[in-house]
Amino acid sequence: MRLQSRGIEVLPLSSREIDLAKPEATEKLKNLVRDRDSLVIVSALTPDKGKDVATLVRNLSMVQNVAAFLEETQCAHVVYISSDAVYADDANPVRETSCCDPSSFHGLMHLVRERVLAAAVQKQGTPLMILRPTAIYGAADTHNSYGPNRFLRTALKNREIKLFGMGEEKRDHLCIKDLSEITLLSLERRSQGVLNVATGESVSFFDLAEMIKALCGNETRIEGSPRANPVTHRHFEISALYKGFPEFRFTMLADGLTESFAIMKRSLVG
Amino acid sequence: MIGFAGLSHLGVVSAIATAAKGFEVLAYDGDASLCESLNRGQISFFEPELEKLLKVNQSRIRFVADAAALTQCDVIYFSRDVATDDQGRSNLSPLTDLIERVVPSAAMGATLVILSQVPPGFTRRLAKKVGQSFADRQLQVCYQVETLIFGRAVERALYPERFIIGAADGRRALPRAFTELLAAFTCPILTMRYESAELAKISINMCLVSSVSVANTMAELCERIGADWSEIVPALKLDKRIGPHAYLSPGLGIAGGNLERDLATVVALANEFGADDGVVDSWISNSRYRRDWVLQQMHQQVLSRIQNPLIAIWGLAYKQDTDSTRNSPALFLIEALKPFRIQAYDPSVKLDRVSAANLRQTESALDACAGADVLAIMTPWKEFSDISLDDIKVSMKGRSIIDPYGTLNGDACIEAEFSYFKLGSGDCE
Repeated sequence: MRLQSRGIEVLPLSSREIDLAKPEATEKLKNLVRDRDSLVIVSALTPDKGKDVATLVRNLSMVQNVAAFLEETQCAHVVYISSDAVYADDANPVRETSCCDPSSFHGLMHLVRERVLAAAVQKQGTPLMILRPTAIYGAADTHNSYGPNRFLRTALKNREIKLFGMGEEKRDHLCIKDLSEITLLSLERRSQGVLNVATGESVSFFDLAEMIKALCGNETRIEGSPRANPVTHRHFEISALYKGFPEFRFTMLADGLTESFAIMKRSLVG
Repeated sequence: MIGFAGLSHLGVVSAIATAAKGFEVLAYDGDASLCESLNRGQISFFEPELEKLLKVNQSRIRFVADAAALTQCDVIYFSRDVATDDQGRSNLSPLTDLIERVVPSAAMGATLVILSQVPPGFTRRLAKKVGQSFADRQLQVCYQVETLIFGRAVERALYPERFIIGAADGRRALPRAFTELLAAFTCPILTMRYESAELAKISINMCLVSSVSVANTMAELCERIGADWSEIVPALKLDKRIGPHAYLSPGLGIAGGNLERDLATVVALANEFGADDGVVDSWISNSRYRRDWVLQQMHQQVLSRIQNPLIAIWGLAYKQDTDSTRNSPALFLIEALKPFRIQAYDPSVKLDRVSAANLRQTESALDACAGADVLAIMTPWKEFSDISLDDIKVSMKGRSIIDPYGTLNGDACIEAEFSYFKLGSGDCE
């Protein structure tokens, strides 16, 4: 929508149009994507769809077919939406030069995809931008993973927020609008390279829960639970983003939560 | 007669300091106009007290553009600074060209001293080559560690803490003329084999980088947990194992070129010989990280809140009392703030318009503040600390001061209702 609002022609392709995991995806892409078009690759089977080897292999099949397409097509620009899961769990503060040592198949998948795409675009000399966003929140997010979205939903629905331990872990939370804007800016400038997309401000899940409680009402209960894993934190050092996009401003977490809260509440009432 | 070949900062300072110790000095550089200027008492770079020292000792020093003149010298220093690229890698070609040009003029039995910044192994290779090519001249080749500091070079050259001398065999006596010269500085003389001396210089710098990295790491923690590094430093300096002169001031990364060169040399040597250099990689990483401290503060405190800001910057040199901008954090900051308007002032540095199109250089520090939303003090020049806070307040539109080195009085800034940000100091409330 942001691209369209700026008069840029957009062709959204979902798995209904092309199943990237199937070999015929390469030919289908050739028919749909023209020379000098820019391509944003955001398709993946996310961990909520499976964390096993089969999901990993399926995700890699998708990139294999996209890579075959890119090797033979003169795209103007490729943007790949990767993930901060490519980094080692103990990489703090995370920056673009941090060690990539994923602890999950999801992170490994993104890292392998990055390398495959980097190799594929070489043949045509297509500029490639790899964006590595941290955990994203936003009202329309379907993953319902631990964090703002789940907290908002359970607070609105059940008046409760359940934490692992007492929510001591600190994380950076990225508003989906901000990732869209950075993607758009990358397209406009045909940016190349690797860039983490995170706000640079990490908060604990407990503080996040408190912020959501303040939005949803004081009757919301914040409940801890026995801790299964040791506490780990994740902070980002975002100087590269400041340098790449100096005029970009992140949505403040409080503002992003307020907006998500309003939309979720409307949809609940509606 | 003492000779110097190569008249960059190192050569000029060392030649003048040697003349100041009462020696007759002949200083050579192939650049005739440079020699003419120096003979007129004009120095092309800024170094406190140096022009005055040259004036007082002008009668004992002559700058010449003819290498053959060095034939009169008992000792010839090769004193050209070795330039580095942006990775800290040395370009030794100009130095080796200089050596090839000068050595044929050296007199029988003269001592050739490498003062330039060379990597381990360089001097022994040179000594071997000289020995083979000029076997009949009985030339002695030595290496001397230079420890000049930009802005304090005169003091360091006149009153060195010690001399570290590299020789083919560290157990043998040094040539007489060279010994007499060194003795005039009345400091300990440590003689060792070439490789040890070459690595001693690098080791000194690694210790300094290590201290600064500790200071940077702990200062950042202070910022995050509400401590103040400046309160901790005196406690460390009273510890005999650390000492009163330890480099414990946090900074905006390593700059100036010399430390970066030695870091690159250690990494290259470790890579070649299979030694562990993980800690050196960490120092380099920490240095790059801290270089962006002001940029991070600028975005978090100012740019995220103000549309189309006007930014004032005081200081462009990589540190005070020098006009060197090598790896200067101010220049990195200006580059990273390209879309924004900047007004900058530095007492010694004048940038050309091409290098910073978004920048307007002003004639005074207060002019740079005119209408600015934020002031960043990138070089702790003494004159900045003398500027009235009231005048700054009247001149600026905004109320944010980013002062990494604490050049201004932080408490007074806060009292004057400025938002004030300093390295190593966090909010404890």
